[in-house]
Amino acid sequence: MKRYLIIAGTYAVLIFWALVVIAPLFWLITTSFKEKLDVYLGPKFIPWVDFTPTSRWWIRIFTVEQAALLKPYANSLIVGLSSAFLSTFLGLMAAYALTRFRFHFGFMRNEDILFWIVSQRIMPPIIVVFAIFIMYQTLGLLDTHIGLILVYTVFNLPLSVWILANFLGQIPPSIEEAALVDGASPITILFRVVIPMLFPSLTATFLLCFVFAWNEFLFALILTYSRAQTMPILIASQHFQRGPQWWDISALATLAVLPPVAITIGLQRYFIRGLIPVGK
Amino acid sequence: MGNLGRREKRLLLSPTVILLLLFTLFPFVFTLALVFGRVSFTGGRIAIQFAGISNWVRLFHDQRFWNAVFVTIKIVFIAVFVEYCIGLILALLLYKRPFGCGFFRVLYIIPMLLTPIAVGYTWRMILDVARGPITGILQRIGLQPIGWLVDPKIALYSIIITDIWQWTPFMFLLLYAGLEAIPKEYLEAADVDGATAWRKFLYVIMPLLAPPSIAALLLRSIECFKIVDVIYIMTGGGPGQATESLTLFGYNVGFRAFDLAYGATIAFSLFFMVLIAAMFFTVLTRSLRAIKLE
Repeated sequence: MKRYLIIAGTYAVLIFWALVVIAPLFWLITTSFKEKLDVYLGPKFIPWVDFTPTSRWWIRIFTVEQAALLKPYANSLIVGLSSAFLSTFLGLMAAYALTRFRFHFGFMRNEDILFWIVSQRIMPPIIVVFAIFIMYQTLGLLDTHIGLILVYTVFNLPLSVWILANFLGQIPPSIEEAALVDGASPITILFRVVIPMLFPSLTATFLLCFVFAWNEFLFALILTYSRAQTMPILIASQHFQRGPQWWDISALATLAVLPPVAITIGLQRYFIRGLIPVGK
Repeated sequence: MGNLGRREKRLLLSPTVILLLLFTLFPFVFTLALVFGRVSFTGGRIAIQFAGISNWVRLFHDQRFWNAVFVTIKIVFIAVFVEYCIGLILALLLYKRPFGCGFFRVLYIIPMLLTPIAVGYTWRMILDVARGPITGILQRIGLQPIGWLVDPKIALYSIIITDIWQWTPFMFLLLYAGLEAIPKEYLEAADVDGATAWRKFLYVIMPLLAPPSIAALLLRSIECFKIVDVIYIMTGGGPGQATESLTLFGYNVGFRAFDLAYGATIAFSLFFMVLIAAMFFTVLTRSLRAIKLE
């Protein structure tokens, strides 16, 4: 009897939190299918019972307002993918160097360099954004893709170096040493031996960096204003322009959360299996 | 391979180091100059004059600054604590691998990676006092609607609720991974000794879960100190300045009022707070290790 009570209690809590997670997403998605009146006349909950769903706003986003609304989506994709590629690639190079060679820069050894790189993540973006703003204004990089790509690459580098250094640390260097004996250069080994072995973690790192760049707000807010505007900025500005016109913005927000949801579901195995090394 | 390819090994590391120096160390030093200066724009060129500690004097006498400090600290303390508790409960429940474990695990992780602006917007709709679903439910059962975002006493808690919704997954994930790392023999040994579930939790699981707990608390606190996007879209820092965090305050001063020097000073004070938090947790980890060694 007591056992059944424990099981019932466990499921009560688990299902409660599942509902907590789902409810806001349900509200967001259903709102994008509501008519204006269904939004203005107080809350309507269940589709086909409380209100009749309409695909009007979705069609409008992909037709009439396509130019204005989908360009930031493209910007987010360009900036996110490019910066994720760069931070994964540069991060791999740095992590490989730090786990395979010995460095002395003054008093700094390998662990110190790794700690210095990883600790850059602690820095609040608001501190450096003032200087980057002035730097970009001087160099003409404000409101450009390249400007945002560079910033996001740098701010994802600590994460990517940390994850990849942890994985590389677990791979015994004997395989690479064998290749070295056969006369391969370190760069060849990196491309021919290490990258194929590390492919799953590289994919995971890439996707994680992409999501962080995709979600970023403060840098995009300060460093872009029209041409290079990203998705979060579009949602925020639409919200302040249109006030309670929830339907369009809900559709945009749904579009914005789609890639992260897909990536989370695809990545969940890696998340548990040591994307985050515990206890270090 | 220690002494092979001297040029090549430098080549591998240098892009990362150069980029980090250029985008974090240089701006950091530049901000340090701003903090003790006054910025003027003459003929499209930026000039910085030395202004001593005047920015800091102004900061310490600024009511709005202290308000932002307390808002930020309150969000960090309450949100991170609640996130830890819920995350721990969920991790413990799923640790026993009940039926449907895989499904719950994916579902629980999802909010963490969602675009904060979209999350903030969704909660902005849900907590809307006129057309929101919560108001609707309250009215149906005959209760007064709550001014989640318009009442200065409640608005901060609405922000905290949103943060908890989005970031409990992070705590859950790290604690779940920490539980998985506990050797099964320890728990079996406790079973053999006839330990109750509560004693097992208190004397076996919790001590072993301390290092990942501290890591999770540290990482989450550091991120939480920087909170801005959710507040920006949900309340804009209002009503009044009831929900204005330090990052939002720094942004408003630096880029809305365009007082770069003072904005940089505010940002710097945030850096000190994050640094103190990081040091606190580092000391905590060290002392834990010391206890273990004894």
